[in-house]
Amino acid sequence: MLKIFVLIKQVPELHNLEIDRRTGTLIREGVENIINPDDLYALELGLSLKEQYEGEITAMTMGPPQAEFALRECLAMGVDHAILISDPMFAYSDTLQTTLVLKEAFDKIKEYDIIITGSQTSDSSTGQVPYQLSEALNIPLITDIFTMEIKGNDFFCHRNFGHESQHIQTQLPILVRTQRHFNEPRHISLKGIKSAFEKEIKVYNFNTFNCPNYLDGCNQSPTRVVKTEKIILKRKNEVIDGTTKEKIERLINIMQEHGIERIWTGVRQDE
Amino acid sequence: MSDISEYKDVWIFTEIKDHVEVHQCALEILSKAREIADKIGQKLVAIVLALETEQYLPIIKDYGVDKIIYISHNDLKHYHERIFTSLIYDLIVQHKPSIFLFPSTEAGNALAARLAYRCRTGLVSDVLNLELSDEYGNNLLISDKPAYLGNVLVKIICPATRPQMCTITMGTFQKKKVKKIDVEIEKIEYNYDINTLKIKILGAPTRKDKPSSTLSDAKFVLGGGHGLNSKTNFHKLFELAKYTNGQVGGTRRPIMNGWMPEHLQIGISGETIFSDLYLSFGISGAIQHVVGITDSKTIVAINKDPNAPIFKTADYCIIGDAKEILEGLLNHYRVSD
Repeated sequence: MLKIFVLIKQVPELHNLEIDRRTGTLIREGVENIINPDDLYALELGLSLKEQYEGEITAMTMGPPQAEFALRECLAMGVDHAILISDPMFAYSDTLQTTLVLKEAFDKIKEYDIIITGSQTSDSSTGQVPYQLSEALNIPLITDIFTMEIKGNDFFCHRNFGHESQHIQTQLPILVRTQRHFNEPRHISLKGIKSAFEKEIKVYNFNTFNCPNYLDGCNQSPTRVVKTEKIILKRKNEVIDGTTKEKIERLINIMQEHGIERIWTGVRQDE
Repeated sequence: MSDISEYKDVWIFTEIKDHVEVHQCALEILSKAREIADKIGQKLVAIVLALETEQYLPIIKDYGVDKIIYISHNDLKHYHERIFTSLIYDLIVQHKPSIFLFPSTEAGNALAARLAYRCRTGLVSDVLNLELSDEYGNNLLISDKPAYLGNVLVKIICPATRPQMCTITMGTFQKKKVKKIDVEIEKIEYNYDINTLKIKILGAPTRKDKPSSTLSDAKFVLGGGHGLNSKTNFHKLFELAKYTNGQVGGTRRPIMNGWMPEHLQIGISGETIFSDLYLSFGISGAIQHVVGITDSKTIVAINKDPNAPIFKTADYCIIGDAKEILEGLLNHYRVSD
């Protein structure tokens, strides 16, 4: 049976963001937490593979205790199991530390065939974890897939890579990173919501991994934020006054100053 | 972990784009890195892996490098995650660079993330500025990176591990030619056993879906928003783009309205543009859109509402009906001379 894992992250909902006009920072109060939008494509791929190949799918996240709600949502969508990796010791983990913790989790799980991720998180947008986990587990990472097939232990797929469209073959286990709009993420069913709250969420913490010092996110993360500054945009803000005709003429001047000229399109437009 | 004081020199992954030219972004990074290397009195080293690599060396020499370390082989024609990572990791172990910078490209991001894991060091993505400071440690690199949707700048250091690694987006630094008289060249023999590769390529035709011109490469971008009112008006942007060699993009709303396809979205869940000129028509300037345009050199905003937030981000502000202005431009560019 195919063992599928989908990595998700809980992030603040970005579409209704409010910015504090005085300080220029994000207002966090009242902001809803959601599953990182890119991860929904990963979940959908995992769920469809489970249906196609009779697999078993686990959603996994690393985050604060409230990330449990994101996992409940995954369970409601049809995920079989959920693992929450959470411990105050993992707080402030940067990407390298996150990867080391995830590696520890997969070393403990031992049996996995496909680990699926989204393309990046909307809050930090580094996109580094899939590559680093591929290094850590020493399994291939396949990106930009458009068709795939599993035959026994063999994985075949078509993917875009650089300027090529490659047909490749590899062996499980593998990591797959989904791109945006790769599929149509499903909605949660009422039945799903009911069963989501009946299922147990497994929690991995610092003790689960026998407390190795190198998993201390706060003290072992190689990168450190030393300062946060408000960005002040330096723009001219020059208001162009006059009649509509004058405004258009000035705009044409600006376009010409930027080297924009009419190009011959081969089609003559008559009015 | 070995003593970090053993780590010296500034390395740049000098990417070769589509096996035809040195990536512009790599040349920009070399120019900035020259300043850094001078300040700490260390060497600037270009790392080049390609097929027939010798052809690219004269161009790289023009950008102030002290040394070029290169490998040339048919297997290096395209970026390959395992081969490139492995060969460059060996070079890091042997030479111990203090700073290693990468273009923020498909290959650069992937390679930097893999190498940072192998070295168990920190990596900062898409930095906007680099400076050296003694404030937190001797000649420590401080990388500025935008956070919270581009509203704040965080300054990040990597104090205890080496190399200090960053990826840098195209257009962040200016290219600047610097002539150096003697550049040390070191050729490394290719040694990678491709039988250890886990992925077998069964076929690899050139992809056909790759658009010839994309928003992120465009020099002139025309953006449209809900304020254009109708699909007919919005499509005038495409007509103007055709006459002026521009690219059309927009906010989320025109996609929801069915006026333009999804891949033309500019902003947080779409593309970031680096154009010389960006004209925005009827866009109010929600932060989700604005983060995608701030790397443009000149921004012109056209909106009816004088209080629209887009004007804060604009170099030129035109308060007026975007439809009328667009129609006026079309009348000018439509007429052939």
